[in-house]
Amino acid sequence: MRTKEKISARQFTILVILYTIGTPILIIPAALASIAKQDGWIASALGLLIGLALTKLYVSVGRLPGQRPLFATIEHVLGKWLGKVVIAALVFFCLVTASEVLFYVGNFMTTQIMQSTPVQAFNIMFALVVVMAIYMGIETLARSAELLFPVFVLLIVILALFVTPQIHIERLQPVMETSMKSLVWATMYYTSVFSMTSFLLLSVFPSDIDQPQAAVKGFYQGITIAGIALLLIIVLCITVLGPDMTARQTYPSYALAKKINVGHFLQRIEIVMAIMWFITIFYRLCFYFYGAVLGLQQLFNLKEYRPVVLPLGMLFVALSLVVHPNVMHSSEYEENAWVPFIATFCFFLPLVLLGVHAIRKKK
Amino acid sequence: MARKAIWLFVLLLILTPLLSGCWNRRELNDLAIVAAVGIDTVKGKYLVTVQVVDPGEVASRRGSIGLSPVTTYHETGDTVFEAIRKMTTVTPRKLYFSHLRIFVIGEELARKGMGEVLDLMSRDQEGRTDFYIVVAKDTTAQQVLNILTPIEKIPASKLYASLEVSAKSWAPTVAVQLDELITNIVSPGIQATLTGIMIDGDPEMGSKRKNIETPETPTHIQYKGIAIFREDKLVGWMNEEESKGFSNITDRLHSTVVETTCPKGGKLAIEVIRSKAAIKAKVKNGQPEAEVVMYTEANVADVECKVKLTTSQTLYEIEKAAEAVMQKHAERAVLKAQKMKCDVFGFGDAVHRAAPGYWRGNKEHWDEQFSKMKIRFNVDVKIRRIGTIGESFLNDLKE
Repeated sequence: MRTKEKISARQFTILVILYTIGTPILIIPAALASIAKQDGWIASALGLLIGLALTKLYVSVGRLPGQRPLFATIEHVLGKWLGKVVIAALVFFCLVTASEVLFYVGNFMTTQIMQSTPVQAFNIMFALVVVMAIYMGIETLARSAELLFPVFVLLIVILALFVTPQIHIERLQPVMETSMKSLVWATMYYTSVFSMTSFLLLSVFPSDIDQPQAAVKGFYQGITIAGIALLLIIVLCITVLGPDMTARQTYPSYALAKKINVGHFLQRIEIVMAIMWFITIFYRLCFYFYGAVLGLQQLFNLKEYRPVVLPLGMLFVALSLVVHPNVMHSSEYEENAWVPFIATFCFFLPLVLLGVHAIRKKK
Repeated sequence: MARKAIWLFVLLLILTPLLSGCWNRRELNDLAIVAAVGIDTVKGKYLVTVQVVDPGEVASRRGSIGLSPVTTYHETGDTVFEAIRKMTTVTPRKLYFSHLRIFVIGEELARKGMGEVLDLMSRDQEGRTDFYIVVAKDTTAQQVLNILTPIEKIPASKLYASLEVSAKSWAPTVAVQLDELITNIVSPGIQATLTGIMIDGDPEMGSKRKNIETPETPTHIQYKGIAIFREDKLVGWMNEEESKGFSNITDRLHSTVVETTCPKGGKLAIEVIRSKAAIKAKVKNGQPEAEVVMYTEANVADVECKVKLTTSQTLYEIEKAAEAVMQKHAERAVLKAQKMKCDVFGFGDAVHRAAPGYWRGNKEHWDEQFSKMKIRFNVDVKIRRIGTIGESFLNDLKE
C-alpha cells in the first residue's frame, strides 16, 4: 500500500485553472454569441461572479467536519444506502460527461484538422493518456500541470496579442441590447459549463492537499483567473470575428487563431494554438474520469482505485463513440439536457449535503 | 530483467503506428495547389473554374520550358462541391484549397445571388478565410482566370497582390474576405460590396503565352468599380469617384490621390497619407440622421499649374479645395447607394449602436429609411508638407 498522495496548494490552484478553462475555451464563445449576440461577454462576467459564489458552496461542502474526500462525504452524510445510490448516479454522470468531452476532442480533430482519420484513433490515443495519468496518481497529474501551465499561458498570450490589431471594439455595441431572458439563459448556460463542474474538484479538495487552508484561497484564485481568461477569449472572438461569425462557427477559438497574421509572415499557426485547448481539455477529462474511478472505489469499498482504471477506460472510449450519433445530437443535448443534468449533481447535491448535515447535527 | 525487456518490446510495438505520421497525410507531390477559383452560372448549373499552380514552371531556378505557369480546369455541376469533385476526372491530383488566394464570381451569378456558393468555402475544413473575393465585371469568372499576367507568374497571386496594393494606395477598391462578406450579407445594418475585375483587351489573346512575351501585354486584367449588393445579389456598380467616396466613408482609406484645381486654373494633386473616418448616427424626432466625420492628412504631391505654394494661405486654399473634392466623392457615393436603397456604408449599424430602440422597430425596412436619410459630411483636410522642393519651377516659365 502506497502512502497517501498529497499535492500542494499551488499545484491545486493550477489544476483549478486548467480544469475550469477546459472545454469552454473552445466552444463557449459560439454558445454565448448565439444566445446573447454581442452581449455574450456580459454573461461570462456575471458567470464569473456566480462561479465565485458557487465556489463558496463547494468549499463549505469540502470542509464539512472530517474533511473527507467527496465520495466519502456523500456516504457519511446521506447514510450507507442512500449514499451508495447517489454515488452510483454520480459515477454515471462523471462517466457520461467524460465520454462527452472525449467525443468533443475526436469531433474537433475530424472536423477541423484530419478529416478522413477515423475518430476512434483520436479517442483511443487521448484516452490512453488520461488512463495513464489517473493510473499514475494525482501527484503525477499535478506535477504535469505545473509543467504544462507555462505553455498554456504562453499560447494564450500569443493568441491574444496577435489578434489585437484586428479588434473592432464597436462590435461590442450596443451594449445590453439582448433581452433579460436571453441574458439570464446565457449566464445559466455559462455557469453550467464553467463553474458548476468544479464540484468534482472536491475529489481532491481538501483531503489530498497538504495545506488545506491555502488551498481554499487557491480555489478562489484559480476560478478567478480561469474566468478572466475565458472572458478574454470571448471578448476577442466577438470583437475580432463579430458576434454573427462567432455564433456561426463550431469552434470559434480555432477560427480566431486562424485570424493570426503578422505581416504575412507569422500566420497559419492555429494548430500550434490548438495545443492550448488540448492541455485544458486533458485536465478536464482527467477529473471527470477520476471522479468516476473514485466513485466506483467508494461504491464497492475497494482499497485501491487502480484496478478499475483500465476497464473503466475501455468503457469510456466505447461510450465516447456512441454517446452522440452525430454533431447536432450533441448540440441539442447541450441545449436541452445538459443544464438540468449538471445542476442536479453539481448544484442541488451540494445543497442537499449541507442541508442534511445541518439537520443531522441538530439531532 | 527479462520481464522488463518483454514489456519494453511490447511498448515499442505499440508505439510503431505513430511513426507513420499523419493518417490521411498528403505529400506535396500528391497535391494540386489551387490558387484561384471562379464560379459562373451556366443554364442553371454552376461552372467552376480552378487555377492550379504548375510547380515546375513557377520554380524557375532551372529556367522554365515555356509552358504556362498555371493550368485551369473547369467543370459544371448542380452544386459547387459536385463540380469540384468531378474535376478529379481531369486533374492528375486532388485539388488542395488551403492556399486559395482569390475567389472570382461571375457577374451573371452575382446578379442571380451568390449566397449558395459561399457556404461551401466557409464550411469546408480545407478552406481558409484569408482569400479575397471579387466580381468579374462584364465577363465570366472563367475568362478572368484564363488571362496570363507578367511579373507575378501566377495570375491569382497578381490578382491578390494588386488588390491589396490598390486598396492601400489608390482606394477605389475594397479587399473583402469571406468572413466580412458573409457578415455583411446577413447583417440588416450593412450591405455587401465587392471589387469588380475587368478584362481589358481580347480574352482569347490573354490566355496565350504570347500575352506575356511583349513588354506591353495586349490583354490584362484590371480592377474597376465596386459592386453593390442587396443581400447576396448584385444590384449595381459604383464608378471610380463613387468608389473613392465609398472607401473614404467606410474608413478604408489609407492613401490615395486627390485631384483639385488650382486657384488660377490648372491641376494640382495631393497625396493622402493618413485618413480617419467615422460615422456618427443619431435619431432626431423619430428620423435617423448621420454625420460622417472625415479627417485627412495629406501632402502636396504634384503641381501642374502656376501657384505660389510657399505661403500658408495657399495651403489653406488647397485644403479647402481638397475638402470640397472629397466631400463631392462621398456625396456621390451616398447618393448612388440611396438611389439603389442599399446601405453599403453601414449607416444602419451606426444607428443600431446609437439608438437600439429605434433600430428594433425599423430594421425590417431599413433600406427604405436609408434612402431618405439625412447625411451630413464634416471633411477636414490638413496639408502638412509640400514635398522635397518649394515653389514649382513652372512659375518661372513664360507661357
